[in-house]
This record gives sequence, structure tokens and C-alpha cells, in this order.
Amino acid sequence: MSGEFDVIVVGAGPAGLSTAYFLAKKGFSVVVLERGSEPGSKNVFGGRVYSYVLDKNMPGWRMDAPIERWVRREGLSILCHDGSSINLQYIINRSSDGYDSFTTFLTEFLKWFSYKVEEAGGTIATRVKVDKLIFEGGRAVGVEAGGEILRSDYVVIAEGANTLLLEKHGLRCRPKPEDISVGVKEVIKLKKETIDERFSLEDDEGVAYFILYPRLGGGGFIYTMREYVSIGVVYRPSFSLNIEARDVIEELRTHPQILKLVRDGVLVEYSAHMIREAGYRDFMEKPYGVGYLVVGDAAGLLINTGFTVRGVDIAIESGRIAAEAIEKAGTPDDLSIYRKLLEENHVISKLEKFKKTPNILSNNRLYTYYPEILCKIFSKTYTVEEELYTLRESIHESVGGLTSLIKIFLELVRAVSSL
Amino acid sequence: MSYRKLSVEERIALTKFEVYGDPHIKIDVEKCRKCSIKPCVYSCPAGLYQIDETGNIKFTYEGCLECGTCRIVCPLNVVRWDYPPGGFGVIYRFG
Repeated sequence: MSGEFDVIVVGAGPAGLSTAYFLAKKGFSVVVLERGSEPGSKNVFGGRVYSYVLDKNMPGWRMDAPIERWVRREGLSILCHDGSSINLQYIINRSSDGYDSFTTFLTEFLKWFSYKVEEAGGTIATRVKVDKLIFEGGRAVGVEAGGEILRSDYVVIAEGANTLLLEKHGLRCRPKPEDISVGVKEVIKLKKETIDERFSLEDDEGVAYFILYPRLGGGGFIYTMREYVSIGVVYRPSFSLNIEARDVIEELRTHPQILKLVRDGVLVEYSAHMIREAGYRDFMEKPYGVGYLVVGDAAGLLINTGFTVRGVDIAIESGRIAAEAIEKAGTPDDLSIYRKLLEENHVISKLEKFKKTPNILSNNRLYTYYPEILCKIFSKTYTVEEELYTLRESIHESVGGLTSLIKIFLELVRAVSSL
Repeated sequence: MSYRKLSVEERIALTKFEVYGDPHIKIDVEKCRKCSIKPCVYSCPAGLYQIDETGNIKFTYEGCLECGTCRIVCPLNVVRWDYPPGGFGVIYRFG
């Protein structure tokens, strides 16, 4: 052994903690270096975790995991300029077994996860910012943090979406502006009964809404926690927004239909995080090298299906696979088995399946033009005036003629065929 | 909760920070002068980049949410961006 630990993991996010957890379970000595004051203190996400990954790998996790609410209502909401909204909801029956996803705070979730790592025998060191990786003859042999060098047989890079370390060592390029989006979020405190009443929920039921609002230049979301509501916007800085990024979230919050849901609440936190949006194209072809592996967001392991963003579950899965790879490889010299295992576990094929989605999602019209047209159609259809519109007339007038209609039709066909 | 829109300063004030003495982001104001689009100004979610009366970029790092957007959108690649030292910077309590 070349150092105090077999494995150094850089970053105590979902991917890093998962790697450490499964390695510790296998008997490796592992340390997680985290720059934040606590695990989770630098992490932000939308609000939900898909539970299959925990069911599969961490039996008994439900006993003490910080579950806020189980998602029982999935909603799509289009907000209109005039303060109206169009809503579609999928309400999951309580008696069904579909406990698919739960809402949580990432900070709480990662604190819990870090206890699990420690229980398994792993070490977590916080307030440690890794400044660079140490390579000797092309082999990763440790890290440098605050002038000190820490050596290990393996280094696992779990630095997240902002890949400063990988870029510093030429292992990854800086993403292009059009390949990222920024998530901003507000957490609003409300009484549990108030949330239950406003969202039609009982006990531990929760909602996950996906929101389109032409003014945002991106998609929005709402998640209900036990006594909090999180609202957020994911915007594309490469779109020419007619609104400043710092204001998009307040544009959403003060829409009359959203204000109804969160009024009298107390804002407790404003946060932001970058999201890599290029999907399969952004995945590192070789997420490993001599002595090192890359997991989670840092490797480009994030799936945006268009309706759901899968980050945490894929990160946990990649961490578990990285641990298995280190065990099976038996030596830091050849870690190519990591990619093979990612393939065998269908992680790469999942990414590949959605490889065309980023093209659709980077179309500005999806967030602006289409929601606007739908608002017009609904407004015309349900407005009773002297003038009476048939649905056909409403559509025709909202879209503005046959040529536009054909254009839209073609664009939709193209979009659907690549979904 | 307020019916009016809250300013970004009001919102940032609710987020917890342990500010470090030296900035973790450095920009080259001279080079920024040549930049005609300045996407940092409108894409920073904390509104830390502003243009002053003379047309120069005015920048503060204290309310940085550490998303890294300015580093990516900068067309001249003059944003020298590093994380604050361990334990410093933004401390998310909810995430």
C-alpha cells in the first residue's frame, strides 16, 4: 500500500459517498475529502430521489433516511401571461405499489448518506478542498490539498458538474455555454396542513410539478417537502433571455397561480447549481485512467429525459459500480473494467437512449412559443363571448395561419421521433 | 410571503455564507472592456456582475452561489474561477 488509505474520493456528493459506502462495505480503507463544512453543504438539486437505486443496494434504508414526502402527484403546468394556467396531473393511487420517488433536501440526504459511510467504516474529512491530483508517470497516486499531499492506491473523482480538477489536468474540456443550464431554487417554509390543503395531499403524499412559462426561458419545477415547498427554474444562459437570470425565480413565484400555493410562506434559502445538459455527448468516453476513476456528474452521468432529470440515482449507481470495478480490477493499473461494468449495468445504454433529447430541449420555442400558443387556444376555447369559436378556429387563430401550423406540425414530428 | 418581487440582494441575504478574505473569482477588467456581449452580467443567478457608469464590469464575490456559470459563459475565458478554501463560501442548509 502506498498511503494511509486504499482509496481517496474527491467530493461528498451522491456519487462520492456512494463509492465510499460500497468500498467500505467491501473492506477497503477509504476517505472522502469534502470542501464544504459538512457533507451536502455545497450541493443543490431539484427535490426528488428515485428510490429503486436504494431499494436495490441499501436494504433497510427506509428506516432512517430523511424522506420528506412520497411523490403521489406528477403534474405538468403551463403558466400563461394573463395569470391563467393549464394543468395536467397524474395522481397515483395510494393502494398501488408505485412508491417510485420521494422528496428530500439534498443536504439532509447527504448527511444521512455520510453516516452510512462512517457506519460501514469509511472516513469523511470536511473543509478539505482538493487543489490538484498527483500524477507520477501518468499514474494517479494521490491528491494535494492546502499544500499537503495525501497518497492512495486509487483516486475517485466525484467533483460534480463543475469539473475544475478534470479540466486542470486536461482530462476534460470546459463545457460550451449552450451545453449547460442553471438551476435556481427557492425554499419556502409553510405549515404542513397548509401544504396538504393547497396541493390536495394527505399524510406523506407529495407533488412534483413540471412548469412551462414563456417568461422564464426554461422549465420550472415545484416539489413539496413536509413543511416546505421548493420552487425552481432551470434556465439556459445561452438563450437570449428577455429577463435577467437573477429575476427568473421571482417571475415564477409571483405568477398568480404559484403565489396562491406559496402565499404566507417564509423564504428560507435561495440557491443555484449548474446542470450539464449535453447528455450522452458529454459522457467521458474513458471515465478512468491508471489509478483513477470518475463518477457521477463529473463523468457526465446524468439523464435528462425531457420530463424528469435523473442525477442522484445515476450518481449512486455509478458509485456502486466504481466500487465493484476497483474490487474486481484488483490493481490500479487497468481500470477499464469500470466502463465495462457501466455497460453491463445499462448505465451507458440509458444515456444513449436519450442522446437526442438535448437537441429538443435546447430549442427555445419549447419554453416560449408552444406554451404561449396553448394558452391562446385554451383561452379562446373557454371564453364565452358573443363571438363563438370552434376548436379549429381557436387553433387556427392562435397559431396564425396554415403555414405556421405546418411548421409547428413538422417541428413536433421531428421532436417526437427523436424522443 | 411577499406579493412583490424580492430583489436578488434580499434573497441572497437569506442564504448562509462564510466569506473568505480573498476572492475566489478573479476577472480581468481590461479584457472585459473588449467584450461586447458580457453574458456574465445577465446569467449570474446572484447578480454579482454589473456594469458601472464607465462601462466597466463591477464585480463582487461575497454572495457567490458557486454554480460556476460565469466561468462557462465567458466568451473570452477571462474568469479565473476556483472554489473558496475548504469550509468557506456558501453553506447550503437545504440544498
